[in-house]
Amino acid sequence: MGMAADTIEQKIDYKEISCQSCGSNLLVEPQMLTAICPYCASPSIIQRPPSENLPTPTFTIGFVVTQDRAIEAVSSWIGRSSVFAKSAFRKAAPELTRGVYLPAYLYNAVANSDYRADIGENYTETETYTTTDSNGKTVTRTRTVVKTEWRSLQGQHCCYILDVVVTASKGVTNEALEAVEPFDLRALRRFTPAMISGWLAEEPSRTQDECFQFAHGEALDKVGSQLKGFMPGDSYRNLQYETDVARESIDLVLFPIWSLAVRYDESKPPLQILVNGQTGRVGGKVPISPVKVSIAVGMVLLILVVGALLFGMAR
Amino acid sequence: MSDATSNTAEAEADPTDCSACGTPLESGDLRCAICGKSAPVRRYDLGTTQVVKILRCTGCGAAVAYDPKKQAPSCSFCDSVVEIETLEDPMEQTGGYLTFTVTPEDAKAQLQRWLSSLGWFRPSDLSSTARVQELKPLWWVAWVFDADARVSWAADSNQGGRRSAWAPHAGTTEFVFDDILASASRGLSAAEVGVLASGYDLMTARPDPEGAENATIEQFDVQRSQARKQVSKALNEMAHNRVQQSEIPGTKFRKLQVSLVLQNLVTRRLSFPAYVMAYRYKGQLYRLVISGQDKTLMSGNAPYSQVKIIGVVGAVVAVLAFILLLIALAQ
Repeated sequence: MGMAADTIEQKIDYKEISCQSCGSNLLVEPQMLTAICPYCASPSIIQRPPSENLPTPTFTIGFVVTQDRAIEAVSSWIGRSSVFAKSAFRKAAPELTRGVYLPAYLYNAVANSDYRADIGENYTETETYTTTDSNGKTVTRTRTVVKTEWRSLQGQHCCYILDVVVTASKGVTNEALEAVEPFDLRALRRFTPAMISGWLAEEPSRTQDECFQFAHGEALDKVGSQLKGFMPGDSYRNLQYETDVARESIDLVLFPIWSLAVRYDESKPPLQILVNGQTGRVGGKVPISPVKVSIAVGMVLLILVVGALLFGMAR
Repeated sequence: MSDATSNTAEAEADPTDCSACGTPLESGDLRCAICGKSAPVRRYDLGTTQVVKILRCTGCGAAVAYDPKKQAPSCSFCDSVVEIETLEDPMEQTGGYLTFTVTPEDAKAQLQRWLSSLGWFRPSDLSSTARVQELKPLWWVAWVFDADARVSWAADSNQGGRRSAWAPHAGTTEFVFDDILASASRGLSAAEVGVLASGYDLMTARPDPEGAENATIEQFDVQRSQARKQVSKALNEMAHNRVQQSEIPGTKFRKLQVSLVLQNLVTRRLSFPAYVMAYRYKGQLYRLVISGQDKTLMSGNAPYSQVKIIGVVGAVVAVLAFILLLIALAQ
């Protein structure tokens, strides 16, 4: 373990700043916007000129959930976890690592799509069929059946794509962030350094291009689901669409996240659990115990076999 | 704190239009309510070199840190809080009062004409109800909006149907919405607003209520965010109606879907003049509303006397029976 930690440290390009309160020199992780002096506890804010991939945040959402509430939320979340979770995990106590303002981009756009689909319009028809009646005679009868006529439709669709959030931090994937979304965007505040003072705050560690690509992908998915609801007729198939996005806007937002570690196995890295610092929603992947799952499957099989045997004997 | 002062300066600066969709931003908006584009901000000067600083309380000089309990940056020593620019959501306020051009006398004459038009079927004790004959001036509230909309729609119509009665249709069109009125009134019904809405001259809006004494002045009782939702809903309904009326081919349709994108949505909040006569008769509310700018526009209901109606129906039946009897006798 010690060896591994050393090798990682060598790669990090620490920034050196001096505390404006006590004058001591501090080493700060390169992607951090804030630091707390270990000698005098003063909260420092590091401001640097914005660049293309490191824009100044436009908005922040402040922390509402306190540290105690975050730990409580995770404890009860672990308690509610699946019975198939590893026993050690269900007994583990969450360790707080940090409350951090996570950088993410807020994306908005207007989508104009050309679509093409086959629309199914139902109609009923009366058809005759032959069958044998109760006396074994062949008879001809009629029945009404629903049939579908397929008509091709092409058209245009325009809509808004609002409030797509994509992570800008390499430390948190989009899936992990989605697990604790949504944030209430009505609580957005204009970013000022005072909002992050005394807290950890990260700079974007993903490029704006990468985030743009991701937001774009999510926007197309949203258009797809809107188009599904847009189709007339009783059913549709072969829906294809091409989308142009216009009026795109992207803003860097700092979202409040509590990041907790759950150590349930000495030989494995701790599990990362995120808590939405605004709503308290918990997100993380529960480690499933293969032993428990196999036992459960074994039990079910056993019951089935016993049941089958009993059934066979009874006959 | 220098940041705090620059924020105040921005808040007082004139609101501008959204750079993406042209919808005016209002004071206290951080983003465009329609398309989500962030409001422009005069950034505090960030310089060209990295700066490390500690934010200090202007009162006592102690360091300021964000406090989740106060949901604001605050001084840990003296508890003072730093104000941060947040999204504001004020109650809606009227932007002007349209003047009364119909005088109380004209309205009163109109009321008399209306009462007499009800005729003999009105209950005879109605006129003794004190509130009848009394007209009260009222300013009711509504949003008036203009917008350019690009509207896409899809629907099934009976035109072009083959084996099925329905065939799919789709289209895109541009609508210009000009001075569309969306009621914010709690007092007037949608039907009454529908009658009054067409007869107002928006150019007569004044900053203060003019032209009526002792008028009831209705207030907007919703916040800005809610108001925007209502305006959006009204816009969507308008678009639906226009597509139904002018876009879908054929005589019947079903499964209409409409999706629209707006440009230059401008909303005004106005108070509209009207005269109202309202009274209760046997537990039921009856009311007459006359526009304050066009006396021919009015909407009202009144009780009918059931005794009189039954009496008349009875009399008619009796007369018919008598005639039939006479005919029968004559033969």
